[in-house]
Amino acid sequence: MNRDTLRRGPSRSANARLEVMIGEVLRFGTIASSTLLAIGLAMTLARYRSELARVLLEAGLIILIATPAARVVISVIEYIRERDWVFVVLTLVVLAALGGSVVAAYYR
Amino acid sequence: MLVPTLTASLALVIFGAGAVAGALGIALGLGGGIFLVPFLTLALGFPLKSAAAISLATVIATSSAVTARRTGNQLINLRFGMVLEVATTAGSLLGGITAQFVAESVLQRLFGIVAIAVAFVMLGRINRRNVIADPAADHGRLGGRFHEEESGGIVAYQIKRLPLALVASFIAGNVSSLLGIGGGIIKVPVLNAWCGMPLRAAAATSALMIGVTATGGAIIYYGHGDLRPLLAAPAVLGVQAGSWAGVRLAERASVKWLKVLMAALLVVVAVLMFVRSMR
Repeated sequence: MNRDTLRRGPSRSANARLEVMIGEVLRFGTIASSTLLAIGLAMTLARYRSELARVLLEAGLIILIATPAARVVISVIEYIRERDWVFVVLTLVVLAALGGSVVAAYYR
Repeated sequence: MLVPTLTASLALVIFGAGAVAGALGIALGLGGGIFLVPFLTLALGFPLKSAAAISLATVIATSSAVTARRTGNQLINLRFGMVLEVATTAGSLLGGITAQFVAESVLQRLFGIVAIAVAFVMLGRINRRNVIADPAADHGRLGGRFHEEESGGIVAYQIKRLPLALVASFIAGNVSSLLGIGGGIIKVPVLNAWCGMPLRAAAATSALMIGVTATGGAIIYYGHGDLRPLLAAPAVLGVQAGSWAGVRLAERASVKWLKVLMAALLVVVAVLMFVRSMR
């Protein structure tokens, strides 16, 4: 990494590529969770309560919550590929904090 | 207080509230939690925990939906956002500690006073722009440049007062799970008024961050069984409708108009906070 890269950060194209990848992850998470929640909600409101409706709603919600975390994971991987170690550490700290929430949620 | 059972009409009301959150997310980078929680508790009689949980799910949905629509035009400042996320997630993880040391009513009054002050600062700076018209200008390590609709050209901006941005983000994360918000209402005005970010860039970057900020709290509520999928579903679907409808409107609105809207929302939030602290 030369001095110019250090001062200005990575190339614009690397940043733009990560932005496109993040967009795709979030788009997939949004569409998948909304579809599952919509079907589960429609089944429940149509008084067609079943195990399937419950599973669909639960899966939709888990995908919704997992989507921002997936976006952070993608960022970590991309920054490792770019050898941008400062941002590898920053994104890993964010991921660790989310892991801390999982611990706080289930081991208390 | 019991969690209400979901009827078709209640689903429709929650859907509408989610749509407002989605539109605010597109326009100002807010997740709408700051309005959703009082609406669910005061108007619909939800218990606070359940309202905060639904609100956090709505904030995540807003963040993902808005950011997915926004990528590609370089309004989002990814690097600056990821730096600030360290402060918001750390704040969120330590949120429980704040709750133990500060009474909720004190926190709400403090929040109200700050909101009023920030609203006046925003109005006072209504004609000041943060952008540098020269696209070749050095924007520093954390600044950025983007295509601005108003002037039709590429503009640049520099980030100022990074420690203040970090403190604001930490506070935003800190009160996130307690109040059921993503913290955009704190970050966007601070980033715009003091840290050199143009409003649209601050809003797009905030929209990215609020998802991760709310995720920490949402995981905890979900683990404790306070986040009901059936009640979150209509809000999440409302967000999709709201962000879809709000896109064109937000792009056509002038920055000046968006600043007035933001200041007005801050005043409403301040009033809501004072009312809640009196109860």
